Amino acid sequence: MKTPGHVLAKRVRDIAQSCALNARSEALPTWCPGCGYFGIHQGLNKCIDQLKLPHHQIVVVSGIGCAGRYPFFSHTYGLHTVHGRTLPVATGVKLANPDLTVFAIGGDGDGLAIGGGHLPHVARRDIDVNYLLFDNSIYGLTKGQPSPSSRPGTITKASPGGTSEKPLNATLLALTYEASFVARLFAGDPNGMALALREGVKTPGFAFFHIYTSCVTFDKAFKTWSNLKQWVHPLPPTYDPTNRRKAFETVLEDNFSTGIIYRRAN
Amino acid sequence: MPTVDVTVEVCGMAGDGTIAAGAMINEALSRGGFSVLGFDSYPAEIRGFGRCVTRSRIGSETIVAMGTDTHVLISLNETEAKSRISFLAPRSVVIFENNPPTYVHHDASFVAELPPDKLLYGMPLSDLAAEAAGTPRGRNLTALGGFAAICGVSPDLFISVVESKFKTKGEKILSSNLKSFEAGYTYALREFSDKKGDAIQFPELPHNDRMVMLSGNQAIGMAALDAGLKLYFGYPITPATPIMEFLASTLPKQGGRVVQMEDEISSIGAVLGSFYAGARSMTATSGPGFSLMTELITHGVMAEIPAVIIDAQRGGPATGLPTKTEQSDLHAAVFGGPGDSARIVIAPTNVSECYHYTIKSFQLAEKYQTPVIVLTDFYLDNRVENLVMPLASEAETRNANVSPTGSEGGNYKRYQITESGISPRSLPGMEGYIFTATGLEHTEKGSPDYSPEVHTAMSEKRHKKIAGALVDLPKPEVFFVEDRLDVGVIGWGSTFGSVLEAVRAVREKGCRVGALKITSLSPLHASLIQEFMERCNKTLIPELNYEGQLANLIGHLHHGSVVRLNLVTGSPFPPSLIIRKIEDLIDRGDI
Repeated sequence: MKTPGHVLAKRVRDIAQSCALNARSEALPTWCPGCGYFGIHQGLNKCIDQLKLPHHQIVVVSGIGCAGRYPFFSHTYGLHTVHGRTLPVATGVKLANPDLTVFAIGGDGDGLAIGGGHLPHVARRDIDVNYLLFDNSIYGLTKGQPSPSSRPGTITKASPGGTSEKPLNATLLALTYEASFVARLFAGDPNGMALALREGVKTPGFAFFHIYTSCVTFDKAFKTWSNLKQWVHPLPPTYDPTNRRKAFETVLEDNFSTGIIYRRAN
Repeated sequence: MPTVDVTVEVCGMAGDGTIAAGAMINEALSRGGFSVLGFDSYPAEIRGFGRCVTRSRIGSETIVAMGTDTHVLISLNETEAKSRISFLAPRSVVIFENNPPTYVHHDASFVAELPPDKLLYGMPLSDLAAEAAGTPRGRNLTALGGFAAICGVSPDLFISVVESKFKTKGEKILSSNLKSFEAGYTYALREFSDKKGDAIQFPELPHNDRMVMLSGNQAIGMAALDAGLKLYFGYPITPATPIMEFLASTLPKQGGRVVQMEDEISSIGAVLGSFYAGARSMTATSGPGFSLMTELITHGVMAEIPAVIIDAQRGGPATGLPTKTEQSDLHAAVFGGPGDSARIVIAPTNVSECYHYTIKSFQLAEKYQTPVIVLTDFYLDNRVENLVMPLASEAETRNANVSPTGSEGGNYKRYQITESGISPRSLPGMEGYIFTATGLEHTEKGSPDYSPEVHTAMSEKRHKKIAGALVDLPKPEVFFVEDRLDVGVIGWGSTFGSVLEAVRAVREKGCRVGALKITSLSPLHASLIQEFMERCNKTLIPELNYEGQLANLIGHLHHGSVVRLNLVTGSPFPPSLIIRKIEDLIDRGDI
């Protein structure tokens, strides 16, 4: 007979065997139970493990927000910076020591609002940094205000009448700025994430990962797990990510296709 | 040998070759064995015309400041030169174009407005240049020829300068410039032979080819190169831009890289990132950019990451006076940003210190793991001084990182509380020393912690560390040591040269005055400053700002009165104003 204890023990064993915990630090994540960031953590840890990257050769640079706490939970070198400045700091790290693998991590507020001015420039300089934008369309750490990717009509304490602004599409921005590698991913699919992350890390130049994720505490209406699960779907197997024009068409027509949207043909 | 202290001005419109002529005067007289300090002013607005003025103060003894009076004015444009008349000393020399103008604006007559005591040397500059070289373009050199003849400067000095300046531009250009110069020299020697001896004469000194003319900005750029700079991140802003441009042409040759960033926030961000990863990097900015950097500077303080920031001050607040000099960023440099964020601030007072303190800032930043701000100003950045090419010793440039040693078995404490407050800092790539640097308050291991005990202990650690840096910082320097002083004048930054000159002048009149130079502004050598102040009946602090920002920092150290002398004219502090103030304080008799 399988008791809940057995199920849990098996689940822990499975996760341990998947290597998803290898790059984890001893600190217990401060994210809410059910947060999508656990899934992203698993995906990135798998990628690190699968690429056999030595942990002391990795630097995770982050900004402020729930996503900004990532480095504390990662058994790698970490640099938790100020709000919105993830990409310039990561630029400095990578140029100082090109042997390091650099991940930049931030949320949609960090990367699209306060730090939105840096994205075009890191892309245009083509710095070999891997930028993971955790997009849950809400400010979580400040307890639920609308973000630049919130849909119109988002009701929060800061927008009791509903927002009127149009949302930013991070994938479209990265494509426009000509990032060398653009992927759109789903936090509920760690394996899919690990695959795309591996490809992105191996690609020289700036790699952008737009990750749809859920804030289970402050968003009960938009990017909930049940909605995201319904909406996201992989790109068709025939999709050619080296065709930038086609990539634009795909992104303009479909907000929820996931996979490698664009990679510069070498 | 009579001493000489002569200020020569060249004034013209942009395009007249004014700045080039001024630079050649500096170089020639430097080679002639004189001490030279030069400062140009040019229009802030970018356009094809505008007034250019170069000033060169030339002395047989070391020149430390720019004076107010001009003794020789070389006019390349009458309309513009009119603005300089009020600066002319009695019996000064005026060299000007005396070709009948084809069109003279009704109020443009320059010569007619000159007071009668001036010594006039009109020369047909354009005609002489055209006749000698086929084009009047070299008339600035013709004017220099006139200057050499009238003031007794050996023409060989100018010829050697012209040769080294134009030798790479081809034989034709070189010879045309030499001919223009010689035409002016021969003409003036012949035409003014009857007036010989009227004008100021430069004595013959032993020549000196070891001296170079360097601006503060060039010295900073060279220092960064010599310090082994790997990366420069910056955003264009007057008056710091020349540092970026200098490094853009030199840094790649030694394997480094200059990245023009999207703003000043990203510039300091990238500097922190590269120091975190172990590479020396730097940014330079001015007040408006510096204010944008303050959040990340305090991040460097909190996360204990080194950084080197040059703040080339200009007139403020806000956009202020972009091409004028001021010392009004002191409070921003020392205190700017959120929280108790003690950092190191040093302010050089001359070009040589620009070099040595910039070099030093890298070691200070590494050893004390904190941002170091080098505070300069428009005048110091752009003025040129002649000095022996500065060279850093191996001890000055060596890496000062404090690295962890021994195996900590995964128990590495990046922010370990130590006696000095300095904790060994690992760099990414070092195995066994993984940590996360953070701007959140944190434990010794770097985990976020907001408990009262941790914040208290860590605040103490960070401040203790900065206070401890005093041992490595340049001490305040006393000039004219005496037990009791009637007036003690304290100066910092580019104003100190004016202070020194003023104090020297007043002492020659037999007054008990002294000077104190402060170059380390955070942390302060409070006890040494206090000791000096206690020996003064009155302390005078001249500064190029309205609020008296240094006086605000150190005024409380003195039980007596601290007199402020503040000036916001946008120009270097004239020593004459300080002299007048000192005399005023002495005359008032309440000393």
